[in-house]
Amino acid sequence: MKPGRLRDILLGSTTVAVFVLLYLPILLVFVLSFFSMRRGRINWQSFSVDWYVRLFENEALGAALYKSLVVGLLAVAGATVFATLVALYVNSARASRLSKSIEYVIYLPFLLPPIITGLSLLIMFRELDVPRGLFTITVGHAVFVLAIVYRIILTRLKALSGTLVEAAHDLGASRLQTFRYIILPNLRTPLLTAGLLAFALSFDETMITLFLTGAEATLPVRLYAMMRVGFTPEINALVTLVLGFSIVLTIVVALTWRNTTGLEGHSSRSSGQ
Amino acid sequence: MRGSVAGLALWAVAVLLILGPLASFLVYGFFSVEANDIVYELTLANFADIAANSSYLTTFFRTLRLAFEVAATNLVLGYAVAYFIWLRSRLWQSILIVGLAIPLLMSYIIKIYAMRGILGTNGLLNRALIMLGVTDEPLTVLLFNLTAVRTTLVVVLLPFMVLPIFVALERISDTILSAAKDLGARESHIFFRVVLPLSLPGALVGAMFTFVLATGDFLAPELVGGIQGFTYGRLVFSQFGLAYNWPLGAAMSIILMIVALVVISVALRVGNPRYLK
Repeated sequence: MKPGRLRDILLGSTTVAVFVLLYLPILLVFVLSFFSMRRGRINWQSFSVDWYVRLFENEALGAALYKSLVVGLLAVAGATVFATLVALYVNSARASRLSKSIEYVIYLPFLLPPIITGLSLLIMFRELDVPRGLFTITVGHAVFVLAIVYRIILTRLKALSGTLVEAAHDLGASRLQTFRYIILPNLRTPLLTAGLLAFALSFDETMITLFLTGAEATLPVRLYAMMRVGFTPEINALVTLVLGFSIVLTIVVALTWRNTTGLEGHSSRSSGQ
Repeated sequence: MRGSVAGLALWAVAVLLILGPLASFLVYGFFSVEANDIVYELTLANFADIAANSSYLTTFFRTLRLAFEVAATNLVLGYAVAYFIWLRSRLWQSILIVGLAIPLLMSYIIKIYAMRGILGTNGLLNRALIMLGVTDEPLTVLLFNLTAVRTTLVVVLLPFMVLPIFVALERISDTILSAAKDLGARESHIFFRVVLPLSLPGALVGAMFTFVLATGDFLAPELVGGIQGFTYGRLVFSQFGLAYNWPLGAAMSIILMIVALVVISVALRVGNPRYLK
């Protein structure tokens, strides 16, 4: 029993140390959004919500946040539609093996270092004379999140039993009807999961965006620019709010994810939701 | 027939948005720049420049080493954490995994900024060291050098490491474990002869992706690295800013891409050895 206990103590303390390492930065930001710091020391008497009030008066940050939301929504919408079409295509019997290799193409922007994805798009937009701006950023984000959306939807499609689709055809449903009444309802959960995950990725994407941004900055790009000249403390307030929102989002994703993966055994039940 | 039309349409989009850009990026690496204008003629000049420039090469190899150290550190730390989580009950597993996922959702830029608050002259770490009596004066060696970049990358990339290892551990079937136990294997035996060989491929895949992410990163080096923490990613990025030499930047990225592709293909092979199929 003894070596087991020693092992648990060693592993346990490493885990605790790692969690401290991961959460220390977050905690620091959270504390500094309410308290002020003087000569490197946190002044515990200085509690205030001033930075939150000032945050709402900071128009530059508000504009950047708004742009991030718009870019995220458009990119996720575009990526989801395209990824779903590709997944349906790859999953269908009609596609040849060669043309199914499109899925490897989709993985590329996600697997390669972001610096290369950003660079490639930058060069192409330049050659096509597309000015840098929200449009180019949106395209960059859509391409970046494509892989993750595709993966989630394809997994679900493969788990969806073929007999269901065959039954629909036998009963006289057209292809469109089969999609609308059989496939789409089954894809609802993975679509939601994929969309949320993709949005979170887009919301934080910085490296690709730095290549594609023009005069208009998304939130991370704005923060990057601010950080080089020095931060104002309302950033801490903003980050705390965004993090709170992200945690809620994670929990939603985690809950829907469970429904997505634990599907094979009870597909009829989860499809009814 | 309809299938092939649909396929063509999808391929058209993929070519326009993914393959086309990648191809033009690859070709750009063979162009050159004269008086701030791009000369559209194929040449190997950029690669010759890189090979002849010792400071580029030093930066390149320094960055590879840095990325290797980050990946190795995270492999060890990540394995310990994943293994610990794997041994817990279902409930604790869920709690700890979500606990690892939450920092991933925190803005990357902000995490780097917070690391600056921790490692800086007036930072938390220095405060702690002074309080513990390790040092009298705040240490300045903690920030704006390669060590700061390494520490920051370890912290921001660690969750990416734990999750794949945990998944690999989860895949080990209970029957194998109980078979080993029934046959009288001791606990350490089970770990080294069964658990480790079965989960190491997944762990190595995670380490390789960490390596790829660390080589290409230019944000962390830029924001916590200072002048000493100059890395290859920063070198590439600077070609698109002040230096304004896109073809050279593209050529440098081609080298980065080759490294990434080699590492990824090795990862895919290592991650799926014959005994796991």
